[in-house]
Amino acid sequence: MSDFAIETAGLTKRFGKQLAVDGVDLAVPEGSVFGFLGPNGSGKTTTIRMLLGLASATAGDIRVLGQAMPRRLANVLPGVGALIEGPGFYPFLSGAANLRRLDAADGFAPAASRAARVDHALERVGLTHAAGKKVRAYSLGMKQRLGIANALLAPRELIVLDEPTNGLDPQGTREVRHLIRSLASEGTTVFVSSHLLAEIEQMCTHAAVMSGGRLVAQGTLDELRLAGQTRARVLVPAADASRATRILTDLGLPPEPEPAPATPGTQPGGAGLGATSGTRGSANGPLPTPEGHFALPGEGAGGAGVGESVLSAVLPESVAREDVVAALVAGGVRVRGFAVQQASLEDLFVALTGEGFDVVQ
Amino acid sequence: MSSDTPPARIAPAAAGVEAAAPDTHGGAPDLLGRRSRRALGWGFFASELSVLFRRRRTWAMLAALAAIPILIAVAIRVTDGGDGRGPAFLDRITQNGLFVGMTALVVSIPLFLPLTVGVVAGDSIAGEANTGTLRYLLVSPVGRIRLLVVKYAAAAVFCLTATVTVSLAGILIGIALFPVGPVTLLSGDSVSVGESLLRSLLIAVYVTLGLVGLSAIGLFISTLTDAPVGAMAATVVISIVSQVLGQLSQTEWLHPWLFSYYWLDFADLLRQPIEWSSFGGNALLQLGYVAVFGALAYGRFASKDVLS
Amino acid sequence: MARKWQRWVPAIAAPAVVAVVVAGGVFAASASADLPEKSPHDVLELAAQSDVQSFSGTVEQSSDLGLPDLSSVPGGVSTGSSGGAGGGSGDSSSAAENDASLASALELLTTDHSARVYADGSDKLRVQILDQLAERDAIRHGDDVWLYDSSDDTAVHTTLPDPSTLGEGEAPAPVPTDIATPGQLAQKFLDAVDPSTEVTLGADTSVAGRSAYDLVLTPRGSETLVGSVSIAVDAETGLPLQVEVLARGASSPAFSIGFTDLSLDAPSGDLFDFTAPEGTTVTEKPFPTRDELQGDGSTDAGGTHPEPVVTGEGWGSIVSLAVGADASELTSSPVMAQLLTPVDGGQALQTALLSVLLTDDGRVLVGAVPVDALEAAAAAAPAVPAPPATAAPAPAE
Ligand SMILES: Nc1ncnc2c1ncn2[C@@H]1O[C@H](COP(=O)(O)OP(=O)(O)O)[C@@H](O)[C@H]1O
Ligand SMILES: [Mg+2]
Repeated sequence: MSDFAIETAGLTKRFGKQLAVDGVDLAVPEGSVFGFLGPNGSGKTTTIRMLLGLASATAGDIRVLGQAMPRRLANVLPGVGALIEGPGFYPFLSGAANLRRLDAADGFAPAASRAARVDHALERVGLTHAAGKKVRAYSLGMKQRLGIANALLAPRELIVLDEPTNGLDPQGTREVRHLIRSLASEGTTVFVSSHLLAEIEQMCTHAAVMSGGRLVAQGTLDELRLAGQTRARVLVPAADASRATRILTDLGLPPEPEPAPATPGTQPGGAGLGATSGTRGSANGPLPTPEGHFALPGEGAGGAGVGESVLSAVLPESVAREDVVAALVAGGVRVRGFAVQQASLEDLFVALTGEGFDVVQ
Repeated sequence: MSSDTPPARIAPAAAGVEAAAPDTHGGAPDLLGRRSRRALGWGFFASELSVLFRRRRTWAMLAALAAIPILIAVAIRVTDGGDGRGPAFLDRITQNGLFVGMTALVVSIPLFLPLTVGVVAGDSIAGEANTGTLRYLLVSPVGRIRLLVVKYAAAAVFCLTATVTVSLAGILIGIALFPVGPVTLLSGDSVSVGESLLRSLLIAVYVTLGLVGLSAIGLFISTLTDAPVGAMAATVVISIVSQVLGQLSQTEWLHPWLFSYYWLDFADLLRQPIEWSSFGGNALLQLGYVAVFGALAYGRFASKDVLS
Repeated sequence: MARKWQRWVPAIAAPAVVAVVVAGGVFAASASADLPEKSPHDVLELAAQSDVQSFSGTVEQSSDLGLPDLSSVPGGVSTGSSGGAGGGSGDSSSAAENDASLASALELLTTDHSARVYADGSDKLRVQILDQLAERDAIRHGDDVWLYDSSDDTAVHTTLPDPSTLGEGEAPAPVPTDIATPGQLAQKFLDAVDPSTEVTLGADTSVAGRSAYDLVLTPRGSETLVGSVSIAVDAETGLPLQVEVLARGASSPAFSIGFTDLSLDAPSGDLFDFTAPEGTTVTEKPFPTRDELQGDGSTDAGGTHPEPVVTGEGWGSIVSLAVGADASELTSSPVMAQLLTPVDGGQALQTALLSVLLTDDGRVLVGAVPVDALEAAAAAAPAVPAPPATAAPAPAE
């Protein structure tokens, strides 16, 4: 038996010519809240469909709750609750009747406790008052809640939620977050997909990032943060800028033009992501400014002052940050400010999945 | 299905990652009394029937079917009927109200019954795909074969309901508007009202049997698409094509193989003695259709990617 | 991937199983039992000595005579009820009724039917022609004969004058003769066996689940249209179970009638107790005398009247009779207009087994021969004074 609630190896799905999922090796530890992150069209839902036996994999192996899928589907699925690509209900039935219907479909669910379990699930998602209302009359958010209630109908070992906060109001989003935490505290593994980083960052212990059908990063949130690039920023008088540039380049930190604050992306890439090693980020790291930049001591709100320039470079792991300052000072550069910037997950996400508005094809 | 091991349950509340030890997969006794074997499906079948009969659409179709004998009876009553130009059965209604139901069946068999059956059978899988409930049923897990069987059984129940609706509405309106008495059979012999009601029931069973093959075709088509309207239309069109082929002398070799071949032979139950051969032939033919199209539906659905 | 195609195994197996079941059924039906060796003569004897009087069974008749489809002709459809005039009109039975009865007679002869036959002794017989949503019944119980047609809800009742004077073949006279049992038809062929016929035995066969000898009658001469007649004779009782008539050179029967289901138990007695249902139009028809038969046209004929002139002999014989003015009445009816084609000296109807020639001088010639043989016969024996008679068509009636 493995300690993974979900494990895939080389999972691949091809729709005609298009590779929707391409060689994905997922490892979702038991008891984790696992964020499955990726922009629209990156293959999250398709992966989830394969995990649950709805679609067959073109290639690759799947184990869910320690058993092979889809071969052991009938044994595995009773322990799995799922919300897949939005809710789906009979509009002409009430919310409660819909849940009873889906529970009756589960051949393993005891009929005796059905009513109680339906009530309980509705209560957990705050739909008790709308239980008797036809789903036709539900708002999108209410349907979404009902979908989550369906996933909670029976005690589960694994709950898969595909974009659970779609269509929810901020209050609903908070409730879902809370619900996921409480499920996790009961020991249930929660696998939650989202295209919103903030959501994942707030509730997950682990995450994986999908891009264009490929899994580009996977690990604990901390590991992922570490996998991001660390930048060093130096504030120097304009007169010292060229000397500083030379010294930094010699150290292996060739300065690059500053990225604009609104789009704090770095170069795509990031081989070796998901690595577990690496030094801890600076404990006394600077606080993010509202723009997302890290302010340097002495730097004004509008950036570098008159007659000053900011040099920014990727700080390789091999170079200690204090050595950078020492080298600059030794080289006669009047360092007016120095900061090390730990990449945010957002930087990482954007770096991994690309920017732009176009859906990856 | 290959094992009876009950699905593993979650560890007690507040257990951490470490506590969710692998051995919880072993099947510890379940706090909520989870079944250790999958239920046979009667509960789900009941649920399927309740979904079917809680739809307004189903009731609208049954009401339309019930309206057929009522319209026929009222029209004949109003015009004083019996001018000898209609089908043979029509003439008899004025003599005996019990013929209304049978006349209505003759009228409904070519189009109205296949239409309603096509709607229900064509909707069976495609409709679930369309509402998005199919994926939730499947991860419940309902079991794909179990779902097909239950869907098919529900469609068959609808066939019976539809036929009985026509027959019963006809008998009731006939009793209300026309004299009722011993019924003259096609052979010229008469049977009592009681026996004629029994034969009406037999006819309803016969007509239902005749529709189960079409239901199997509808079920198969329904597994091919996510668009229920398309599946319904295709099923109805096939029933019409089958009847047209049954009329063409060029396709005579094909006739006994068409599922509509025996449709109007329910009159064999109105002979004295009852001619059972068409009943048996009908049952066998329909069984063949159910086997072939049931297997096709299984082949398609068991391996189908559910992407709706 | 292997698992994927396995899903389709049932879909492939199901039609295969159906095919096997169907084929198995066909094989079982055609599997000939291993019957004791018999000579054609023995089988003729067996058939002649058959004394089965009580049985019930289903008879299928099918014909492929090469006639046009009559269903499009007004009054030519199976129900034959052109207006409510059906019953009662004794003398006013003019062209319209003649046409209707002619049409229904032709319909019986030329389309496929299935009928149930119940017989108990020599004087209880019920034949039910099973039409779709309708039925035509002929019931004989002692002296009482009923004809009932559910499609127009009419019945005809006849009382036979004196059963003791009636011959075997005449008993069910008012019953449409073409739905007679295979036995009755076979008897006509067997009675006609003479030196012009070669009698052989085909392979043993099985009809209605019973083992049977296959007696094959082949005309020796080449003048007839009939290629052969094969009669399945029940090995146990000698009852003819099936008659198939093949046209010369054809491989499938032009006409066949046979049991698909047969039980030798006496049928239930109440089947023969028939009274016209309430609301039925009942016509009382006295048993037709010869004069009436003559006026009634040619369709109800029993077939033992000596008046027609017969030329030729055996299979090639041609029956000729003068009908005078009736001929024009016949040719003017829409049904006949569909069937007849003009030839030298008249109009002709050619079927796979039988030809009919209506000469312009008012004679009808019928024979199991090509039309030109009829034309030659008509030319050879010009109009004779019309004898008052009805036709008795040759064997393949
Ligand atoms: N039924 C389908 N047929 C063809 N392509 C599909 C189908 N479903 C999804 N795809 C493609 O697969 C890719 C991944 O889709 P999906 O898994 O739904 O993405 P996500 O859930 O991450 O938004 C998309 O490019 C989409 O176009
Ligand atoms: Mg998605």
